[in-house]
Amino acid sequence: MPPQPVGSLPVNASSPPSGPTQAKPLAVALRWPKRWNQKQCAPYVFIAPFFVMFVVFWVGPIVTSIGISLTNWDGIQAPRFVALANYRRLFSSPEFYVAVQNTLVAAVVYDVLMVTLAIGVAMLLDWRHLPWRHFFRASFFVPVTMSLAVVALVFQLIYAKEGGLLNQLIQTVGLPYKVDWLGDTRIALWSIVALRVWRATGYYAIIVLAGLQNIPKELYEVADVDGATPWQSFYWITLPLLKPIMAFVVVTSSIWALQLFDEPWILTKGGPINATLTMVIHLYQHSFQFGELGFGAAIAYVLTMIIAVFSFLQLKLFGSDISK
Amino acid sequence: MRAHPSRVPIYLLLLLGTVLTFGPFYWMIASSFKPQGEIFTATLRLVPSQPTLDHYHSLLTKTGFVRWLLNSIVFALGTTVLSLFLSSLAGFAFAKYEFRGKRALFAIVLASVSIPQFVTIIPVYALMVRLGLINTYWGLILPFSVNAFVIFLMRQYILGIPSELLDAARIDGSSEFGLFHRVIVPVIRPAIGAAGIFVFLTTWNQYLWPLILMQSNDMMVAPVGLATLSTLYVIEYGQIMAGATLSTLPILALFLLMQEQFVAGLTSGALKG
Repeated sequence: MPPQPVGSLPVNASSPPSGPTQAKPLAVALRWPKRWNQKQCAPYVFIAPFFVMFVVFWVGPIVTSIGISLTNWDGIQAPRFVALANYRRLFSSPEFYVAVQNTLVAAVVYDVLMVTLAIGVAMLLDWRHLPWRHFFRASFFVPVTMSLAVVALVFQLIYAKEGGLLNQLIQTVGLPYKVDWLGDTRIALWSIVALRVWRATGYYAIIVLAGLQNIPKELYEVADVDGATPWQSFYWITLPLLKPIMAFVVVTSSIWALQLFDEPWILTKGGPINATLTMVIHLYQHSFQFGELGFGAAIAYVLTMIIAVFSFLQLKLFGSDISK
Repeated sequence: MRAHPSRVPIYLLLLLGTVLTFGPFYWMIASSFKPQGEIFTATLRLVPSQPTLDHYHSLLTKTGFVRWLLNSIVFALGTTVLSLFLSSLAGFAFAKYEFRGKRALFAIVLASVSIPQFVTIIPVYALMVRLGLINTYWGLILPFSVNAFVIFLMRQYILGIPSELLDAARIDGSSEFGLFHRVIVPVIRPAIGAAGIFVFLTTWNQYLWPLILMQSNDMMVAPVGLATLSTLYVIEYGQIMAGATLSTLPILALFLLMQEQFVAGLTSGALKG
């Protein structure tokens, strides 16, 4: 679309507009100093609003967070400096290790399941003979429209031990089991992982699909002529060429998975017996339920380090730089 | 069309995938119309035998749902508008100007994408307490209006606009800000649409920050408010499903109406990067 013609004023634009009907630039309307509208100053003026917010809500807090983590601040009384006491307490608390373990295990299992399924779904959607292409492509994307908290509430009805959808289905098939999907310490975490996989697979499948469509079809034809089996083509052509996009998928989905909070908080509050306790639930409970904001800040810092290491390892694994 | 025999397993897979995808949606909607006694039954009951609107009625009259939904809309729209404005302006500067510190500043912004939000949550909460912004829309919106991801998208898109367009406008006497709002904004409308959907949806889904900040019942956003209904002494699941349905419908409608932009918006990070 061509841009609208800009009013052709012969005079300097920062002088007052010539007529009342002439749409005046907002900058003039706000009476900004003249030099702000010159080419050397303009970029700084343009980035200023963003950077003010960026410093106030990101950079500043990240720095002050260190300070808070060294105090016993409870949100009410004046904080007192306690040096590394919060960190010492954190590393000697068994609960913290449970939370870290649950989160990491859930994230890894979720990643593996979700990525495998996403590749599968993407290949189905990329299939030449796919009927109702538009319908299927849209339908796999639909779970994204439900917010995580709402997904958790809906799965409450699906996972319920008495009269939940899953147990009804098991009964309909004729099996004599009644599974306590959220109340059994061995199962609860996997139920939550399954819920996440349900919500995320279609979304990532669409991303993988775009990657698949960028692979030149001639490569497959050549492989076919050379007598390669479909599996060989998949392994030697599809997977290597999908690598950059897979790196993006795995790293972003992991960062998201490591912040697991909404669903376990709504469904199980971290229970039963800490079976679904995650790092962010741990952080939330100590900071905002027990009023230990200093301790919470320490947890937040350690979690960030864990996430950073995790992302770094994944990038190493893929041997690519998506940070370009 | 006759099905090729070797394709039958694939059709079955597609069918299975579709059933799995829509199952929870169907269950949510069906349960919202079931009388309380029919929601948890021993045997499978796919269709409500006596559909009722009671849950919708009690949801809208006895809970704060209408207000929660309104709060969610203010939160999501406010964040979208503010973050699009901040990001497109800054993205314009990063794409079309040379200035000292440009590379370093952009690198810092990009690095912030990988920092999880919860690191800042305690200090930002402390800040909100001090500013008196607990239980206010500003407190909710301001932290989310800084979205490095959107800046990145805007910059990418604006890089593709020929600089001659800007120079021509300058010769015609346009001010630098005039370039932004009369040349850039009209051209980047598709990017604004895609990024807008992305921000709107991520904000609509937020749970942790609104949970912490909005402590009074009438300032809760829809997901948080609905979740509180499931912690009551007597849990009305039908009511919760009615609320779940009503809070999902707007997004689902948006998706069905503008699928192309929707998908582009949500996946653009992966494909442009």
